[in-house]
Amino acid sequence: MRRSPLHDLLARSGVSFAERFGIEVATAAADPATEYRRVRDTVGITDFSYAQVFRVPEQTGVDLLDGMVAGNVARVRYGRVLHTFAADSDGMLMADCYVANNDDELVVVCESIAGDAAMRGMFMAGAAAGAGVTDLNATHAVVGVDGFKAWAVMKELFGADVLGLPYLSIEVFQFEGERVRLLRAGKTSEFGYLLIVPVAAAGALFARALESAQRQGGGLCGAAVHDALRLEGRFFNVFAEGARVRDPLPLGLQWMIDFGKEQFTGRDAIHARRAAGVTRKVVGIADENGKAGLTPGLAVYDGTAKVGEVVAACHSWVLGCDVGLAMLPAEIAYSGLPFTAGAAGGPALKTVSMPPIMPRSLTVRLDEL
Amino acid sequence: MDEQVRARIRRRADAIGKLKADLIQRLNLPYTPEDLHEDVSLLGAGLGLDSLDALEVVLCIEHTFGIKIPDQNTAVLRSINTIIDYVITQQEAGGGTAR
Repeated sequence: MRRSPLHDLLARSGVSFAERFGIEVATAAADPATEYRRVRDTVGITDFSYAQVFRVPEQTGVDLLDGMVAGNVARVRYGRVLHTFAADSDGMLMADCYVANNDDELVVVCESIAGDAAMRGMFMAGAAAGAGVTDLNATHAVVGVDGFKAWAVMKELFGADVLGLPYLSIEVFQFEGERVRLLRAGKTSEFGYLLIVPVAAAGALFARALESAQRQGGGLCGAAVHDALRLEGRFFNVFAEGARVRDPLPLGLQWMIDFGKEQFTGRDAIHARRAAGVTRKVVGIADENGKAGLTPGLAVYDGTAKVGEVVAACHSWVLGCDVGLAMLPAEIAYSGLPFTAGAAGGPALKTVSMPPIMPRSLTVRLDEL
Repeated sequence: MDEQVRARIRRRADAIGKLKADLIQRLNLPYTPEDLHEDVSLLGAGLGLDSLDALEVVLCIEHTFGIKIPDQNTAVLRSINTIIDYVITQQEAGGGTAR
């Protein structure tokens, strides 16, 4: 099982680890409420080295990647990042993907539910086919800097230029003589940055980022708290609702798909389901009375009829209650409706508009800092 | 589901349908109304609309529902659902003139 290049450093910091889809993940560094507050109020540093990261030469990469992901790689402008997914031949989700156009290279960052080895094997088949794919996992760590004060850490590490980067962009910075690819991308709804760092500098950069975060009142986070942060911000989480539902259409991921593309893996199956019409879809839910015990798999009832189930859930410290996503028939998948949990006459649930919170980062403009 | 709830669904579905149709037309989005999930993020992530598009969304809401979005109220524009929540709240308070 693949391990993060930062494993030993994290282990010395008391981080706990667990396997997730074939790879070791640094899951927790403190209690969930503390980690959550770090991101919402200040800044959290997270090891995202579980992600599969590849470099593909731009010349050969566009055609290769366009055949692999649902979005349109050819249309990604220089310096920008496409957020899309890779599906299997049945059009079912395999991975959430960022594809970044970094001049002469395309950088792909995947979060896969297909298994680490399978995902890397799929990409490295591109290398065998002459597309020149390089697997960056052995040589690079991936560090996430997320939070209301994430920008302050980045400014300290790389200078004020970093503040001008728009969401979903890529830029290269130097750190201790090493080339760090920086993606302005996050899934918490606060400011977010993803750093792809050569192993030679990864430990030093991680330590510097952590020291800077601690000066802001933040600290280390595990990957597990990001499940809650993503759900609360209504960012798609391939490890939660993605793994449970698998079909991108009921999940509302049509925005990740270029329906005009002639070919990508799973295209025909996705188009066929789209033409047939989506009969079920996910909708936000809240357990405002705190009695439903929201958890994936929990049945949702409309009167005496079971109409669906919970596919993702978390506690929202901002709202003070559990929130989640439920898969319901499309004709009743609307916000503001009453249901019950677990059984007819069970605890009350309410469908809600997502995202249910207003992140602090949306209240400031980085160009005014 | 009682008739009151069904009426709420009809009202919301109607408002969502109008908003999606106007958004697709004004922003030239390459999607059908069924493709646009009501919770998809409009700005930055998701549909990735920029600040000029945001202005178009504000005009779209004014055109479709006769409701103005106050300056700086970016919270309303987070998703189609958050827009519809605002529209319905304003309508119930006596604001707006449906197209």
